[in-house]
Amino acid sequence: MSEEALPPVSHMATARDSESPWRSSLHQLRHNKAAMLALLVFVLMVVAFLLAPVYADNIAHENPFASNVQGLININGKLESVMQANTQGLGLGVTPIGPTWHFSTYFLGADNLGRDVFARLLYGGRVSLLIGASSAAMCCFVATMMGMIAGYFGGVIDWLMSRFFDLIWAFPIYLLAISLSVILLTSGIDLGFVRIGPGSLLLPILIIAAVFVPYVGRPIRGIVYSLKEREFIQAAIGSGASDWHILYKEIWPNVAPTVIVFFPLMFAFDILTESALSFLGVGVQAPQASLGTIIQDGLNLLYTRPWVAIAPGICIVICAGALNILGDGARDAFDPKAKLRGSI
Amino acid sequence: MLRVRPMRRLVIVLTLIAMSLLGFAAIPPHTVGASQRYQLQPQHVGGILHLVANSAGGTLDPQVNYIEQYWQLYQATYDSLVGFQKVGSTAQSTDIVPDLATSMPKLSHGDRTYTFTLRRGIRFSNGKAVTVNDVIATFQRLFKVLSPNAGLWYSDIVGGPACMKAPATCTLKGGVVVNSVTNSVVINLISPDSVFLDQLAEPFCSIIPADTPPTDQGDKPIPGTGPYMFKSYNPNSALILVRNPYFHIWNAVAQPNGYPSEIEETFGATAESEVTEVENGQADWMYDFPPADRLAEISTKYASEVHLNALGADWYVPMNMNIPPFNNLKARQAVNYAVNKFTTVTLYGGKELGVPTCTILPPDVPGRLNYCAYNSTNSSTYTGPNLAKAKALVKASGTYGEKVGVVAINDPVDESVGEYIQGVLNSIGYKATLKPLALNIMWPYVQNSNNKVQISVLQWYQDYPAGSDFLTVLLGCADFHKGSDSSPNVAGMCVPSIDKLEAQAAAEEMTNAAAANAMWGKIDKLVMTTEAPWVPLFNPVQVDFVSKRVGNYHFSLVFNMFVDQLWVK
Amino acid sequence: MPRFVIRRLISAAIVMWVISVLVFLIFFATPGVNPAARIAGRSATPQVLAQVSKEFGLNRPLPVRYWLMMFHLFLKQDLTSYVNIGDKVVPQIAAAAPVTLSLVFGGAVIWLVVGIFGGLVAAANRGRFIDPLIMFLGIAAVSVPAYWLGEVVNLFTQDRLHSSIFSWVPPDGYVSLTASPGEWALHLLFPWLTLAALYSGIYARVLRAELINNMNEDYIRTARAKGLSERRILLRHALRCSLITVVSLFGLDFGALIGGAALLTEVVFSIHGVGWLTYQSLLDLDLPVIMGCVMYGAFFVVAASAVVDILYAWLDPRVRVVT
Repeated sequence: MSEEALPPVSHMATARDSESPWRSSLHQLRHNKAAMLALLVFVLMVVAFLLAPVYADNIAHENPFASNVQGLININGKLESVMQANTQGLGLGVTPIGPTWHFSTYFLGADNLGRDVFARLLYGGRVSLLIGASSAAMCCFVATMMGMIAGYFGGVIDWLMSRFFDLIWAFPIYLLAISLSVILLTSGIDLGFVRIGPGSLLLPILIIAAVFVPYVGRPIRGIVYSLKEREFIQAAIGSGASDWHILYKEIWPNVAPTVIVFFPLMFAFDILTESALSFLGVGVQAPQASLGTIIQDGLNLLYTRPWVAIAPGICIVICAGALNILGDGARDAFDPKAKLRGSI
Repeated sequence: MLRVRPMRRLVIVLTLIAMSLLGFAAIPPHTVGASQRYQLQPQHVGGILHLVANSAGGTLDPQVNYIEQYWQLYQATYDSLVGFQKVGSTAQSTDIVPDLATSMPKLSHGDRTYTFTLRRGIRFSNGKAVTVNDVIATFQRLFKVLSPNAGLWYSDIVGGPACMKAPATCTLKGGVVVNSVTNSVVINLISPDSVFLDQLAEPFCSIIPADTPPTDQGDKPIPGTGPYMFKSYNPNSALILVRNPYFHIWNAVAQPNGYPSEIEETFGATAESEVTEVENGQADWMYDFPPADRLAEISTKYASEVHLNALGADWYVPMNMNIPPFNNLKARQAVNYAVNKFTTVTLYGGKELGVPTCTILPPDVPGRLNYCAYNSTNSSTYTGPNLAKAKALVKASGTYGEKVGVVAINDPVDESVGEYIQGVLNSIGYKATLKPLALNIMWPYVQNSNNKVQISVLQWYQDYPAGSDFLTVLLGCADFHKGSDSSPNVAGMCVPSIDKLEAQAAAEEMTNAAAANAMWGKIDKLVMTTEAPWVPLFNPVQVDFVSKRVGNYHFSLVFNMFVDQLWVK
Repeated sequence: MPRFVIRRLISAAIVMWVISVLVFLIFFATPGVNPAARIAGRSATPQVLAQVSKEFGLNRPLPVRYWLMMFHLFLKQDLTSYVNIGDKVVPQIAAAAPVTLSLVFGGAVIWLVVGIFGGLVAAANRGRFIDPLIMFLGIAAVSVPAYWLGEVVNLFTQDRLHSSIFSWVPPDGYVSLTASPGEWALHLLFPWLTLAALYSGIYARVLRAELINNMNEDYIRTARAKGLSERRILLRHALRCSLITVVSLFGLDFGALIGGAALLTEVVFSIHGVGWLTYQSLLDLDLPVIMGCVMYGAFFVVAASAVVDILYAWLDPRVRVVT
């Protein structure tokens, strides 16, 4: 963290009087150059992904979800096949066209079904970000609830929650994923108020959110556990405040910075987990794309068309990386311990 | 100079003696050209042949295993009364020759009785002599061990149905009658069966010692009579075969001697790794199909190490004829018009690896007719799809807009073909989704009618080149078992009139093979034009990629590459 | 303290039991997963399937079958696979365990060294260019999918550059330590590096964060006031406290990896450890092996977290926060 992110000593006395802690944290974050750069990069990626339909319809004029094995495209006036049969040696193998580096046609080349990789990448980014954001939000919400309740109430409730965390953390999610994917194929899952069909993104979101609940929940529980012994909490209890009041007014603001730090981290992890789950056929269904499914397609083309696997990998690294740097900056800005350190 | 060890010298001498004797024996004429092959060339004998496969092939028990991976190895380790020819051209590899029997059987009682004489002087790899008791025990064990095809192929032996009902006490009384004095083996069938000899030649009937326990032996090797024996088997690492010290050649066309001194098949590498290992000479042959992105590489840089052979097999898309929307003939015909078979061939690896087909029977089945009922032109060869007609048929069928789920195996090629079919269905007016499943889940899943699978992408490899192996097994009423995980008639077709024609053709085979073959060809055409239960896609080509040092590659239409004939020196 | 330990261990046992029940139920709730089909072999006829069901007691009620499976797995240790008939599950796992241990141990040594060093350098040079650089490298390493990295490593070492720079790289696979230590290390070199890449980023970041946290504690300020150099403070005082977090994180990661979490790395490099075995049995739908692997893995994860909890309770009765 750079020195200029910390306010100089002389300002601190006055700053503390007139600004709320949240405001000064945000101020600090805004001056964190690395974090702001990361935020900018991330926002640019999001905008690019959101513009996927604009690209596909208006610039490339193609449907990135329909196979195009027999297709021909026009490059520099020459007509080339999208899928190029090998004519040398024994003539085995058909290779998709490689990157053309023309922005409006098959910029990164084609995949094994003749579809435009770049267009699918943009659409895939949308899906991955949606899954990542939703599952991170759900995970942080549930984990925080569980962690706060477990840490605050202690006793049997704590014991149950902790065992629940252990259970999820040790559970074989690959087995669950395979089994669920087969069950979904037959009938879908009826939860009463919502029906999860095979193409529903709700399933991978739920699975990914569930898997990381212990990861967030345990530290939150630890924080609340130690907070409970502090004087200001004891004072609130002594003054007759109800449990829920204490949780909301006293505990939550102290837990919030940690959650804020966790959210971008989980967002990054979730994008990665989604790519691993698409290995097993859970979630994003063909012909829809996510960064994970494109990597899957790309691994089958790794020896001839490495870009199909590398490009989504780079997207994931940029998004996850930017989110992690943002998370670092958020922690530096919001973590109470860091603030109380001062500038000495 | 190569010093040949005494045992090997003996083998070579015996081979030469056997050769000269065979030159005088009354064996069908095709051995004249074949005699060059079973002369073991001493300079190539020896070495360790290293095979690689992604996973083990299941149980080692030849009476239970039904997987190509080990059927290929059983050619070198086991023998039945008769066998498929192992010497000669690829076309001759489907001919049946006597193996442990002295000669082809004498047929009597209206072709219901097969009389064999068991050869003398043959020993198992544990040193014990092969007797008629081992033969009858083997047939009884087929039922006791619950062999997959016990009911389908062997319950037409007298006493078979009783054995199916009470396998533990199976005696096959009256069905298999042996005489240890004359060494005769007599098999009595309930009714004539034109493909019984083919079924006898399959590994299920490998003669094994009578004292083999009547349960699936799993990874414990069972002694056999072939030139090699299984030494050790660990499904998580490797399967090792060594020479059978008690082997000698009795009929080289049925069971020639092998070249490597040891054969080792290691498991666990990914298909990509396997290709790299074979290229680098770290492995001699890979069992799995080379991944699509390596095909160009191996066919250009390593072209001399690639062997291509047409297979008696189909890639096809069966449609469930009992549930909507494909219980409607027009809908099925629409899909037949809409699918571009050339695209599926491209997805498989290009036109050298697959031939588009419009028929159920592959080209190697005798009597198969060349026609194309659903084509863009009137040609009898496939020229392309006809989308306009397809869309019109969908509209006319009244199934427009219905939801369809396409089930495919989740490996890269099957899944991409499935995705393509999904796209085609969407383009002609359905709302299609793709459901990829792992292989071991998918096969029982699509067979069980309770799962209501509407359309899927499958392959079928022939057990022997006969019309019945495709038409009766995959489309006959008797093979449609409602609600069972075992019902190879995935399309669920049951048309009694066609079944009757098939029975007639089967009966005809015993007396007039040519007429019967012609009948099978006509039935094929009838099924596709009047019922269209499938969209046949293409007949695949087998790719065998061997390392630089490997020589003497030979191919069998029944069991693919002859593993023990490969030279590594 | 002893009561805490016993309570914690009982809790761990309960969790493992629940997992076993869930795995069993999930397996049989999945359509198309008929064990008779697995045992009978491909294309068995319906009559054969029925006979197999009868013979293997597959028609008995689920609780009975669950109990029998657990009995054979843990007490008699003769549970056999559905797919490879006669193959016992426990020896398979016992054979795979040292393989995974080799992979994880070597990878752990590398990632700890790289991670701790990276974290120290980043914290010592806070604010200068090298700090965010190391952090970015760490983030990039963490953001890469494991199987993708493995495949790319293979692409270069086995194929593209195999004839030139990487000709010394042996083919994928595992050679046991007792057979040949040299080959053992050579075969595991790239798997170690791949596994370490994924974790060293995390450890560098965690250590850096902890060091920075601790560098402003009171006792550090005292040391500074006494005149000790920054480097000495960093290495001899702050590091010791910061390592507590790293050690607890390491305990959890190590536990999970030993139990088979390095599944994708093992599959890509064809290293037949517990993760590989789990993956194969999932594809084969071999319930006994799946159950064995899941129990094995769950044991280590649950045990590791129990050990860490106990360690914390011993070191800091208030139970410190791990982030």
